[in-house]
Amino acid sequence: MRGRFGFFRLPLIWRVPLAVSVLMVLVSAVITERVLDRLGSIQETYLQSIANSYLDGVTASISPSVLREDSWEIFDALERLRPVNTAIVPVETIVTTPSGSILAATDPLRYPSLEKMDDQHIEQFPDRQIRIESDDGLAYLERDIVYQDTTIGRIYTIFDARLLLAERRDVLSTLILTNAGLTVLLVLVGFMTVRRMIRPMQTLESHMIEAAEGKATRIGVSPQTSGNSETRRLFMAYNSLLDADEERRELSTRLAEEEKLASLGRLSSVMAHEINNPLGGLLNAVDTLKKHGADAGVRKSSLDLLQRGLQGIGEVVRAALATYRPSRQARPLSLSDFHDAKMLLSPELRSRGQALELLLECEDGFACNCPADPVRQAVINLLLNASAASPDGADLFLWALKREDSLMIEVGDRGPGFPLDSLSLLTGPAPKNLPEGKGLGLWVVRQITDEIGAGLAVEPRPGGGSIVRITLDSDAFVEINHAA
Amino acid sequence: MSQDRRSGFAVALSRRRFIAGGACVPLAFGSSKASRAGLPAIRFGLTPVFLNNDIQLLDALKLYLEAATGHSVDLVTRRTYQEVTSLLVSGQLDAAWICGYPYIQYRDDLELVAIPAWNGKPYYQSYLIVAADRDAETVLDLRGDIHAFSDPDSNSGFLVTRTLMFEHGLDPETFFRKTLFTYGHRNVIRAVASSLAQSGSVDGYVWEVMLELEPALVSQTRVLRRSKWLGFPPIATSRKMAGTEKALALQEALVDMGSSPQGRKVLDLLRLTGFEMPQEKAFEGIAGMVARLRGVL
Repeated sequence: MRGRFGFFRLPLIWRVPLAVSVLMVLVSAVITERVLDRLGSIQETYLQSIANSYLDGVTASISPSVLREDSWEIFDALERLRPVNTAIVPVETIVTTPSGSILAATDPLRYPSLEKMDDQHIEQFPDRQIRIESDDGLAYLERDIVYQDTTIGRIYTIFDARLLLAERRDVLSTLILTNAGLTVLLVLVGFMTVRRMIRPMQTLESHMIEAAEGKATRIGVSPQTSGNSETRRLFMAYNSLLDADEERRELSTRLAEEEKLASLGRLSSVMAHEINNPLGGLLNAVDTLKKHGADAGVRKSSLDLLQRGLQGIGEVVRAALATYRPSRQARPLSLSDFHDAKMLLSPELRSRGQALELLLECEDGFACNCPADPVRQAVINLLLNASAASPDGADLFLWALKREDSLMIEVGDRGPGFPLDSLSLLTGPAPKNLPEGKGLGLWVVRQITDEIGAGLAVEPRPGGGSIVRITLDSDAFVEINHAA
Repeated sequence: MSQDRRSGFAVALSRRRFIAGGACVPLAFGSSKASRAGLPAIRFGLTPVFLNNDIQLLDALKLYLEAATGHSVDLVTRRTYQEVTSLLVSGQLDAAWICGYPYIQYRDDLELVAIPAWNGKPYYQSYLIVAADRDAETVLDLRGDIHAFSDPDSNSGFLVTRTLMFEHGLDPETFFRKTLFTYGHRNVIRAVASSLAQSGSVDGYVWEVMLELEPALVSQTRVLRRSKWLGFPPIATSRKMAGTEKALALQEALVDMGSSPQGRKVLDLLRLTGFEMPQEKAFEGIAGMVARLRGVL
């Protein structure tokens, strides 16, 4: 098993050529074995046919003598019928009665007439089927002598098959040498070819690994690039993929920025409205001061009016500046961020008769290691979405609860509930593409929470509506700290 | 060795065939010999003596006899003595080279034509042979053997041993484990040499000649017992053919075989010194054995 794992640990550029080489060796071995097996069968058939011819002749010649149990006639016939110019020569032939008593043999000294044929020796002769003993090169065959449907005797013949076996050995050695030579050659060629063929795959693999590690680089493709056009197309496709990914990233960033600007635009109009509202009062106060500035009472009340009006305008401006900063400073989140959010939303809420309840269960001077800007932006987006989804006069809430190891922020609305695609956008798998049309704000929320490692959950609100919950745990804090 | 000799003989034979077929024949055998044309063929039977498979010997013998007698000669060979003897007795053969035993058995129907002489005498012996490395010393040591006989009508290849057993009060069917008839003296030697049979009865003349021709085979056997000298297998004719022109011509050709080069070649192949005129007394020994076994066989 260790070897197997060792093999699988090898780089692809070695593994594939090695596997191909092993397969070629296996194929060669199988072919060699098949050829030898077939040759063996052919030789056995050939041997069997020669042996049968010999035994046919002997049987026909000696049958009358076997009937008479005439040992001399049988012996004489065996001597005369012994072939000499064949590939196999009978070295011993023994003729017995059906009961195994020897009538005559080509070697009477070894097989004396009238003696019983040794049972052990008889077992060497399979019935009618030739058996070749590769150790001594002898082949054994037994045949019944049948006369008028009666078995009158048996012939046991041992053939010298060494010539055939030598021929088989020659073929074997030639085949093995040739196959081994060809296999080595083919394995070398195959190894080099396959190695060359999969080299682009290795290049692609290494680039993809780098891409997965966030260090994607383009593959250099030039007309001189090695490999065929298919490889070049593959490389170019990979490069196109990288380009497309890069473009998508840029587009996402840009859209996020645009969304932020769009939010800001809407806020700016609110802000202009907020500034414009007290502006008439302020100008009136200035006129009053011009005309009746000598009067201390009028002056004080006008200046108070001016101060409150300018403070209101100042609040609006500060909140707007806090929402959009050209460079994101890692300012920690504070309670004022939630107040700002409510303040920024208040004109919108007021215009629709909606009420926003701010519940901050945190100590005063609350500060956590969370960066303020992304959380603040996410909260504003959620509030804008809640306001838009809820009917006029609805009661909304923004709740922030600080615990030892986490911060939980909830935004509640009175809307009809999130449609499925919006729900999926918030809590489903990380969205790869920007939503078309509506939902951009929610997409930004999801991007922000993913970015800072915050949890996002949606649940129904008692009495109707939905609650969106952002949970920042201590791990996120640490990561955010690092990010800071 | 024997093959070389046979090849040499084949060349001589071809030359003789040429001479026999040409005008030299009358010169060689005299003008008294009649031309072969128009004369009836001599049907000459041969029992398996020792070179019964040697086609060249048969060719040489035929050529010689045809040239010497002026008759065409048909050599008739049969596997067993009995077949040849039957053909001879029934008159289907003019003459035949048979064994002394059938001659004695059919003495009333047969007439001797000539007797071969081996080493100058018309006698030979029967040998009891065993494997060369065997310890046996007497016939009694052969109990339980598979014994190879040549032919049931052979003197040296059966009768002599059978008589010996009889004289010892033994029955071959029980004394030996099994008996074989190989129908050829050379086969008896082969059977014993190969150990198919542990002992055998063989023509002593054949054994001696084969020892010279096929020493590798014959030296695997040794002679355990030699019989007394007995009449050599003779050439005989049926009684009714005796004295006919063909029988006389054949007798003359055989007896004169040593006087011509072609005849001497045949004698050399047969390892005989010649053929002699018939002598009845040569077969007294065989006749005695037959008489002793009368009623037994």
